[in-house]
Parts: sequence; C-alpha cells; structure tokens
Amino acid sequence: MNKQLNRFATIIWLALVILTIGTFLIGEEVTAGKTVMLSVLLISLIKGQLIANYFMGLRHVSWLWRGIILGYFVIVGGMIAIAYLN
Amino acid sequence: MPPSFASIDESCDEAGILGNLMNTKTMLVNETEDLPGDFAIWIFILAEMLVFGVMFIVYAFARSNQIEVFNESQLTLSRAMGTLNTIILITSSYFVVRAVSAIKSGNSRQSAHWLLGTIFLGGMFVAVKLWEFNEKFSAGITLETNDFYMFYLTLTFFHLMHVLMGMIILACIVYKLKNGDYSAKEHFGVETGASFWHMVDLLWIILFPLIYIIR
Repeated sequence: MNKQLNRFATIIWLALVILTIGTFLIGEEVTAGKTVMLSVLLISLIKGQLIANYFMGLRHVSWLWRGIILGYFVIVGGMIAIAYLN
Repeated sequence: MPPSFASIDESCDEAGILGNLMNTKTMLVNETEDLPGDFAIWIFILAEMLVFGVMFIVYAFARSNQIEVFNESQLTLSRAMGTLNTIILITSSYFVVRAVSAIKSGNSRQSAHWLLGTIFLGGMFVAVKLWEFNEKFSAGITLETNDFYMFYLTLTFFHLMHVLMGMIILACIVYKLKNGDYSAKEHFGVETGASFWHMVDLLWIILFPLIYIIR
C-alpha cells in the first residue's frame, strides 16, 4: 500500500517537473502574448492543484479545503490575468 | 410459532444488506479525513497565502502602468536559475511526502533522512537565490532602481525568509525524530511541518511564472 502511494507521489513529482520545464520553454521560446500568459497561469493552476491534493494530502479531506485552494488559484490567477489583459 | 427456514433466510438477507449499507456508510465517513497536522498551521497557511496573494495582484496591477519598464527589467533575470529553483523546491516537497510516508510506516530513521534531504535542497534554493541577489547588487541594482526590482527583491526575499523558516522547522522535526518522539501512531508534528513546507512550494508556483516568465 505504502509502496503504491510512494510510486504515485513519484509520478506526481515527475509531472510537476515536466510542467516546470514546459513553463521555462514557453518563457524562452515563445514571444510574449495573451495566450502565453494564460497558458502559463493555467499550468500554475494545475501544478498548484497537484501539490495541494497529492502532496499536501487535501484530496482526503473535506471538499471545502480543496475548494479554498482551488478558489485561491482561480482568484489570484484571474486577477493577474485581468491586470495583464488591460 | 417458530420461524420457518425461509423467514430466517430473509432475515439474514436483510441483515446482510443492512451490514453492507453500514459498511458503505463507514467507508464514506472515513473517506473524509482530518486536515494533516495541526489545525492552527492551516490558519497560518491561509493567512500567509492571503498576504502573498495580495502582493501578487498588486504587482500585476503596478506592472500595467509601466509595462515596458517591467518587461525590460524582467529580461535581466535568469529564467534558468528560476526554473532550477522551482525544480529544487518541487523535489524538496516530494522528499517531504516520502518523509511523512516513512513515519506513517513507523520508520523514523528513514523519515529523518528524507527530511535531511529536504533541508539540503532548501539550502540549495537559498544558495541559488543569494547568487541571484549578488548578481543584481553587483550590477548596482537596488530596491530603488525601479518598481519591478522593488517587487522582485521584496517578494523573493519575503519568500526566502519562509524557506529559511521552513528549514528551521524541519531541522527541529529531524531532532525529534532522532529522539524517537514520533511513531507510526503519533506523527502529528511531522505532518504539521510538512504542510508548512508544501505551502512554501505552493507560493513559489505562482511567484516563479509571475516574476520570471509572464511578460
């Protein structure tokens, strides 16, 4: 059981590293733009969810806590997007 | 009149269904666990996230008034170093997950080793960040150079303080693990420290693209 959980955590870590390298490549290769900004924010939201639910262990607790973390990323990311789109 | 075999079978069936229903209910109740670690740390985590969240939003709106200044200054930052630090923090968070998993299995020695690995990675993060700060200060950049650098230096320094605080907390947990204070049944403190460290990672997940990538 524990081995399975550890293996799952390793997969999540690998996914986070791949998403981070993806963010870096977007920053290096692609010229600035609204699509790039929204893509990078979306990647951050996905990474945040992976960390909160699988590393912090929130997937086992009340939906309220998962909702707070998701809401945080949506609101903060959304406000950043609004500021950049202006 | 004694019950017939048929009615006894029916009663058993009903008991079986009831039993299954009760098991399902128990499973559903068990699916929702308590927050890992001390509840107080979660209030602290929310407060910290709120403060950082406001600063992130203020940065974004401040940028909208000086887009060129922010974009030009941002290009002087090393995205490679920012990415390296992100991978370091993500890996350190993974080490913390393994430390919690180890203590849940009753292996305090292994748990301490994973946490020492986390502290080492935290040290690497600090070293990379200090190298970045040194590079900027050597180029004559200060808080007063422009608004971008003011935000860059303030936000990343504030975050760095949290990394250092996390390293101290984890060092205390390692000390307690070595003293045998935690076990498979009692590992509340390990989970509390782990939650704080993950928060530090979570904040960097927004800080990194905001300061280094998005323009």
